[in-house]
Amino acid sequence: MEYYRPQHLKRVLQLLGGGKGKAKLIAGGTNVIPDLRGKTIQPDALIDLSHLKSLSYIKEGNKSIRLGALTTIAQMASSKVIKNYAPILSEAAQQLGNPLVRNRATIGGNLSDASPAADTAPPLLALDARIITENATNNKKAIPIDQFFKGPNQTVLKRDEMIKEIIVPKWTSPHIKTAYIKLGLRNSMSISVISMALWIDVEEMFCKQIRIGLGAVAPTPIRALKTEEMVTGKEITPDLIEACGSELKKEVRPITDIRASAEYRREMASVLFKRLIERVTFEQRE
Amino acid sequence: MTKTHYHAIGKKTVRKDGLAKVTGQEIYTSDLFLPRMLHGRVLRSPYPHARVKKIDTRSAEALGAVCITFKEVPDITYAERIVTIPQKTFKDRHVLTDHPRHVGEAVAAVAAETAELAEKALGLIRVEYERLPALFDAVEAMKPESIALYETIFFGQEELRVSNNVAATREIIEGDIEKGFLESEIIVEEEFRTGRVYHAQMETKSVVCQPEADGGITVWTTTQTIHNVRQLLGEIFKIPLNKVNVKKISVGGAFGSSIQMNSVVPIGVALALKARRPVKIVLTREEDMVDHCKYPSYIRLKLGAKKDGKLMAGHMRVIVDIGAHNTQAYPLLGCMAGWWVSLYRLPHLKFEGKAVYTNKVPACAMQGFGNPQVTFAVESLMEILAEILGMDSIDLRLKNYVGLGETFWGQGPTVRSIIQSCGVEEMLLKGAELSGWKERKKTLEGTIRRGLGMARGFHTSGAGAPMPGEVIDYSGSIVKINEDGSVDFMTALMDLGGGTLDALAKIVAEELKVPLEKVGISSVDTRTTVYDVCTHATRGIYCGGGALHKVTAQAKSKLLEFASRILQAPPHALKIEIDEEAGQGMIYVEGVPGKRISVGEVAKTAQINNWGTIAAVDSLRQVNCPPTFNAQFIEVEVNTETGVIRPVRAVLCSDAGQVINPDLAEGQLYGGLYRGLGYALLEDTDYDKETGELKNRGLFTDFKMLTAEEIPRLEDIQTYFTHTREPTGPFGAKGIGEAALNPTAAAVVNAIYDAIGIRFTKIPVTPEMVLKALNEKRNQG
Repeated sequence: MEYYRPQHLKRVLQLLGGGKGKAKLIAGGTNVIPDLRGKTIQPDALIDLSHLKSLSYIKEGNKSIRLGALTTIAQMASSKVIKNYAPILSEAAQQLGNPLVRNRATIGGNLSDASPAADTAPPLLALDARIITENATNNKKAIPIDQFFKGPNQTVLKRDEMIKEIIVPKWTSPHIKTAYIKLGLRNSMSISVISMALWIDVEEMFCKQIRIGLGAVAPTPIRALKTEEMVTGKEITPDLIEACGSELKKEVRPITDIRASAEYRREMASVLFKRLIERVTFEQRE
Repeated sequence: MTKTHYHAIGKKTVRKDGLAKVTGQEIYTSDLFLPRMLHGRVLRSPYPHARVKKIDTRSAEALGAVCITFKEVPDITYAERIVTIPQKTFKDRHVLTDHPRHVGEAVAAVAAETAELAEKALGLIRVEYERLPALFDAVEAMKPESIALYETIFFGQEELRVSNNVAATREIIEGDIEKGFLESEIIVEEEFRTGRVYHAQMETKSVVCQPEADGGITVWTTTQTIHNVRQLLGEIFKIPLNKVNVKKISVGGAFGSSIQMNSVVPIGVALALKARRPVKIVLTREEDMVDHCKYPSYIRLKLGAKKDGKLMAGHMRVIVDIGAHNTQAYPLLGCMAGWWVSLYRLPHLKFEGKAVYTNKVPACAMQGFGNPQVTFAVESLMEILAEILGMDSIDLRLKNYVGLGETFWGQGPTVRSIIQSCGVEEMLLKGAELSGWKERKKTLEGTIRRGLGMARGFHTSGAGAPMPGEVIDYSGSIVKINEDGSVDFMTALMDLGGGTLDALAKIVAEELKVPLEKVGISSVDTRTTVYDVCTHATRGIYCGGGALHKVTAQAKSKLLEFASRILQAPPHALKIEIDEEAGQGMIYVEGVPGKRISVGEVAKTAQINNWGTIAAVDSLRQVNCPPTFNAQFIEVEVNTETGVIRPVRAVLCSDAGQVINPDLAEGQLYGGLYRGLGYALLEDTDYDKETGELKNRGLFTDFKMLTAEEIPRLEDIQTYFTHTREPTGPFGAKGIGEAALNPTAAAVVNAIYDAIGIRFTKIPVTPEMVLKALNEKRNQG
């Protein structure tokens, strides 16, 4: 196996486009190293991105916040900008792995690894983020996150393409509420059994718009589009919440694995949804 | 209890190895680097059951690596665990094998200049395997049509045919159970299952072996017994024991996983002998996880009682899936019977145990040696029985427990002795008071439900008895008083991280009345120590400390004899006390002014006058293995929406006799609770039946253990030590370690029952199991 440690993005993209066998990008290594050890991946070359400091940033713009692909989860977890404009992303970052993992793992890595349980995906789905990619011929693309994942550990990224930046739009309505829950086999250092992020525009129990991001209940992180449709433009009532819970159970497509059974995950989708809705509408019901 | 004035025993002190450990300066096997040392790696079977048809190491050797296969290691069938007497020891192991019986069993090994080169060489060994059918279920394995994993094994010197893959059986009968059950007015029966837990000791098993110019070897390794490692290596490699030196080195936790000589040790030795250079092997975590695990269990328990709660009869049937090797399941079964019958008086009883081979990771002792498994079953069933009887379960326990003056045989039917100290009643009553046992209320409503559960248990302090049984148990020490009044002691007893040797230093300090900081724990090896069987069975303080106490008293006699020459008074007129200011033990004649001399002055005078060194060496077999009793009250919260169980409060009671160091003793109780909660709620390993691999692939990612976030906060854990003294123990002390975990799983399951009215008989109890059971209950109701 070859090992490269380029100093510039340009060189990374060149190497990716070079076409010498299967190349694997490695940033924090918190997924790649275990995969190499477990022989679930056997690349011909490793391209180490850890020296590309230019892709490690959190910037606040007028309409959005922008995160460089090599921003670590720890940086996200302690960022005021993220806490202000994407609190559910902040929460997800704080609950990812443990401090050692958070210090190494990057947002670009978390997304391109495309684990169905990727912790940053559900909040980014709920926040309607876009992923900016670049390839060897310097073509840039902006991919809506709900079109980014293709299957377990599969994305729409081409062989010569990498994530450069993640853009999270700011919202303008004062009635937006967000909430996030991760359920694992323990409270920390846990791969999620199910995780859910909610973004909702709600005023006096009337839902104008809603986005539900889910992790570990389908081959990829997903949006619960059918359930979203049930709530949009409706008054949130206990009956509706109950109906949505049932719909969610049907909408998710979980599998049974070492951490939990499909039945349990389905059941929890409904439980977590109720909790999140209750959390975001708590003040209004008072 | 008489009021005693101790300056070291019972005092909170900073442990001697603490600073080195917390600052990373302590040296472990993996830290060692010797000149010209090679790095070893082991080639392991990717299949759960196979025959090696062909093995080709030429490409690896072309790289400059030294390779060994099963053809190049001594052709000897050995047992890795030799605390049992040879006649009762089962042997089925080889250093390397052409017949691997579990994924991860060693078939070859390499050593090379660097770890990277060794890894590369390992990848170049070509092995042709013939895959064989594999067994993953003990009940399945016992069926006559199942493939035989072993044709024969050795029992002592005798070759034994294995039938139905049963590695060992044990049947123990006392009284007449048919009569006992006939006389019973209430009979309860239940099946219990416990998980296959990985030890998860911090240090993965490691070895460094240096071949010596005289044909001998020096070995540093992860072990709980340096002398047994020495003896086994001498036997396997046919080297006289004076040329096999095993050095004592710090161990990063063991939990029972290194009672046996670890399989990596003879592999490291064989490589070093072939290479004629030192070789080091440090197992990766993935390798360590396929090396050992706790015995899982299937227990069917039946108890009969009179209406007043008096137990009349009991029948326990046990099946243990031991995996691919018999790491001494025969004593395990004996102990499981012993743990059971020593908890409660049973006039009529029958125990039937079977240990069965499968193609899984070999199981071995882990924190309790069958005791947590048995106590889980017994203390669950006692709760069931109490409910049927309409009795408070504490009253039921008080009515039936085996206590003071009674015979018990926790370590199996050949290790019988009389209980001479017992704090059971004190713990049950005090624990009930501290936990609010009587005031607990049933609230079977709401999302979060609280429940309080309790269970009791015990462990033996060692495996001593008046008669020599099936298990070897004695310790020895050397004590030497230096010329300035400081003291060195040498013992082969291992400290597995719990502070055992620190406790031993206190025993020396107390007996000689010298300051604790003037007692040194010597770096030793098998050449410079007398035999100590092993640090296991919660025997460190009671047996190892007991032996050291005896030897220290002998050194003290010599000290007083020399002092008597100087002070001109007979030795029995002399007293000894500590002088904190002088930092010395002082010897004096009571009531006679001026007749006072320090221990250091005596030793120095002895040297100047050529009287000799004040030292002693001896061994001690404890003729008792006093039960260190335990009771735990645990409160849990059950979330009825997610099924998540959260332990929120605990009262931990311990009858350890005289406590040596309150901080470390509490630490043992916390540790037992922590691991016991994991046993009850989370820890387990499962297999992919197709590939025979662990589903967690040897990674901690999917071998979950609890974190500080899931256990009660320290301020919500209360500890209580009984006011007991063990007359046969050093300064009245007994053991503590394993007892601290034995009742936890039962207490948790009893608490869950209290919270939601559902009884779980299989652990770990996962959120899924809780939710499923709640749904079933709802559908029925």
